[in-house]
Amino acid sequence: MTRMFVDAWDPAYGASFEGGDASDGPASPSSAQVDTDVEVPAAQWAPIDVAAGVRCPDVVFLVDGVRRNDAGLWTAEEDGQSYAGLAASYAAGVVRCDLRRGVAELAGARVGRGLFTASPSAGDVQAGSVRYEVHRVSGTGEASKLPAAVQAPLTALEIDISGEARNHGSDGADLLVVDGPLRNRRQLPRTIGYVKTQQKQYLPAQLARVVTALRPGQRTPVFALGTVWGGWSWYLRLPGGSGAPWSGIVRVECSPDLTPEEAIELAEVSGATLPRFASSAYKDPRAPQNLVPIAGLERRLRGLLGDARVLHRALTLATAHTR
Amino acid sequence: MIGVSDEAVEVSEPVGRVLGTADATPLQFWTAVTPGSYLQLDDVVVTSRDLPDREPVKIAGVVTQVRARHEGAQFDSDVFAIAEGTLPALVQEAAEITTTRVDPELYVPPAPGAVVHRASGAARDAALHFDRMERRVPMGTGRDGVPVFLNADFLDGTRGAHVSISGISGVATKTSFATFLLYSVFRSGALGADGTNARALIFNVKGEDLLFLDHENTKLDDATTANYKLLGLPASAFPDVRVYAPPRAGDSSGAPDVNSRLTGVDSFYWTLEEFCANRLLPYVFADADDERQQYTMVVHSVTAHLARHAVAAEGGISIDGRRLGSYGDLVDHVVDQLTDDETRSTWAGSAVNMGTVNAFARRLIGSKRDLSRLIRGDLAARRPHQIKTAESAQVTVVDLHNLPDRAQRFVVGVTLKTEFDDKEKSGTGRPLLFVVLDELNKYAPREGSSPIKEVLLDIAERGRSLGVILIGAQQTASEVERRIVTNSAIRVVGRLDPAEASRPEYGFLPPAMRQRALLARPGTMFVNQPDIPVPLCVEFPFPAWATRKSESGPPPAGAMRSMVQGVDPFAVVGGRGGSSDDDIPF
Repeated sequence: MTRMFVDAWDPAYGASFEGGDASDGPASPSSAQVDTDVEVPAAQWAPIDVAAGVRCPDVVFLVDGVRRNDAGLWTAEEDGQSYAGLAASYAAGVVRCDLRRGVAELAGARVGRGLFTASPSAGDVQAGSVRYEVHRVSGTGEASKLPAAVQAPLTALEIDISGEARNHGSDGADLLVVDGPLRNRRQLPRTIGYVKTQQKQYLPAQLARVVTALRPGQRTPVFALGTVWGGWSWYLRLPGGSGAPWSGIVRVECSPDLTPEEAIELAEVSGATLPRFASSAYKDPRAPQNLVPIAGLERRLRGLLGDARVLHRALTLATAHTR
Repeated sequence: MIGVSDEAVEVSEPVGRVLGTADATPLQFWTAVTPGSYLQLDDVVVTSRDLPDREPVKIAGVVTQVRARHEGAQFDSDVFAIAEGTLPALVQEAAEITTTRVDPELYVPPAPGAVVHRASGAARDAALHFDRMERRVPMGTGRDGVPVFLNADFLDGTRGAHVSISGISGVATKTSFATFLLYSVFRSGALGADGTNARALIFNVKGEDLLFLDHENTKLDDATTANYKLLGLPASAFPDVRVYAPPRAGDSSGAPDVNSRLTGVDSFYWTLEEFCANRLLPYVFADADDERQQYTMVVHSVTAHLARHAVAAEGGISIDGRRLGSYGDLVDHVVDQLTDDETRSTWAGSAVNMGTVNAFARRLIGSKRDLSRLIRGDLAARRPHQIKTAESAQVTVVDLHNLPDRAQRFVVGVTLKTEFDDKEKSGTGRPLLFVVLDELNKYAPREGSSPIKEVLLDIAERGRSLGVILIGAQQTASEVERRIVTNSAIRVVGRLDPAEASRPEYGFLPPAMRQRALLARPGTMFVNQPDIPVPLCVEFPFPAWATRKSESGPPPAGAMRSMVQGVDPFAVVGGRGGSSDDDIPF
């Protein structure tokens, strides 16, 4: 009989990998060029333990952002046309985990609010004490496309803030963990991208078996992804998974500008660092992939966004005055 | 305005802001403490609230609860992740402030976000209403090490009187606080001439620890002396003390029964004549238990009979043609007369049945052993033997500790009655008389009635105008007559028993303070006075006088007149008051 496992993630978040069944992992195969011979030849792939000499850095920075749609709006233009608008709040923050001193603190956080619309006539909206800056969206600006537009300013905010956090209090040996793929944050030094959700099957089937064979704390060899946002990447299994083949698996990536040796070194460090941040199932609906500092940071950031009902009401009042 | 003037308002560094996640009310609000600062219980803080079209309202209060918590933690186990440095969280302290003063009296809540300052100097005095007290009696220091005062108006009868002190015996230091309060009244000068002329009557119920009030304490250290200085008091013993002790049992000379204090002790007793003429018999039956019995009637008729028919005869009395020379003789005679069918009706009235008489006789005979050393027919009537605070020193200590229960009640009852009657006769409230009585629950229990309870109730209800101030101490205020407790303007609590602390008698303590009272250290008291809506936590200094033989310095010169008695034995007996040689009895 097939062994079964309940996914650790709360169903509302989807699954930690999309599609396929538990034995196959991510189903939709990627068209990306993958070079699996970077660390060891593909034929010799096997799970890699954390080497004895590798230490977790004293200071780890973790960056994350949160966003919330405060209200959907409609504009009434002079010519009788109407555009959709989205008032969103977003915040990015950095946690500085000083593991030697045992202090995790918010090293920086910034909140932004924007009104995303394609309307050519819309201006900033002052809702109570809060100002929603207008972000003009190109094209027709259907309501369904607006949420994606929030991502750009949020990512910009994350880059700003992680650069700032490192300017104060970096010891040169720290590690910056970015939640999600690196994308355009690859220029940051000593930075890894941390991908919780596996949507694409990058590895050929025989190598994917190495991934499912990982034990907690082990990683696969580094491989290179040839996509637009590609780079060096590897899989890692966090402790605390349910035991299902793909539970607790995360993909970590780093900038393609690094040499393979530098990438392997980062892979080693990540193997020593990330498992200790893994969350436990009863505390986090996305355990163990949602790291403890990230979860804490998200809670703080959501607090900084302000109360949704208050903002919604303020927006309603503010727009009522414009009529 | 709080404070004397704007210039005098000394507010030190800001310590936090009024928080908005809990309701801020005019009488109670929470303050988030700024990281890097702290607030402790009893700290005094002040904040202000701006109002349109009028001057800002200053809101002052004391900290009644402080809490610290991790913000951003959801689970108890998150603390480990936070301590390990993986989960970001904030330690946030918050303090609950109970308002003590609103100035001008406009009861508006402080605005969340308003800056809260720690109050010191004039602002602190104003917050605790010390600036409005015209006469302030220092009673110790607060948790912040600054003096805390008692409004003398509520002590001397001007606006209130009486002190009620509760707490577990041994650790609550009730008697020490009572004596310190007296010392402060006498020596601080806050009461002016009243304080200097005031008298104190202290009943020493346990041990001999109050017998050394006039002895310097050899264990007094510099820190304690400095503490006294801070309170504006000299660190010394009580200057003018007179100690009375009962006569030694079975000793025909009437020497005082004391063990450790050997100098300057007078013995007290009552002559048989006084016993009969002053109608002291009811105080023999001063147990609340006694009052419930039928024989009260007999007690009163026998008392009346003795007062009417007893004739003084050389210290003893003569009645029905018989000379009675001791309390035992008197008891035997009364019992004889009562059991005799012919004489019974003249002593006890006609409507009394035999059972009642027998009950009375049994009790009376039982009292012989306890009272025969106090009611004497064999000692000179003219020898000074009465406790009279008006003729005694500033502080009169009556030692009861080695008397049996019935005798203790008799002494307390008769002494208080005599003093109160004297005060009543003099008709003036001055000089003040402070009466310190421990174990009030024994003398004025909530249930039942007794002659002593009547006297104490009289003092509690009318003493204020007559200048008799009761400083009562008890383990449990809940067991003391309610009218006495409610008449006490000043209520003091030391360490309390947990079950006792939850009783309504301690309703004046806020919940946090009630909890603290369970672990109050010796020397820490919570004092509630009508002026201030929150009880103050007070630490009073270690006594500057000796509380036991081992720490007592040399006896004061006055007590050295005799090795045994305060009265000079070589002075002519009864020779006071300008008597001539003719009065010499030999």
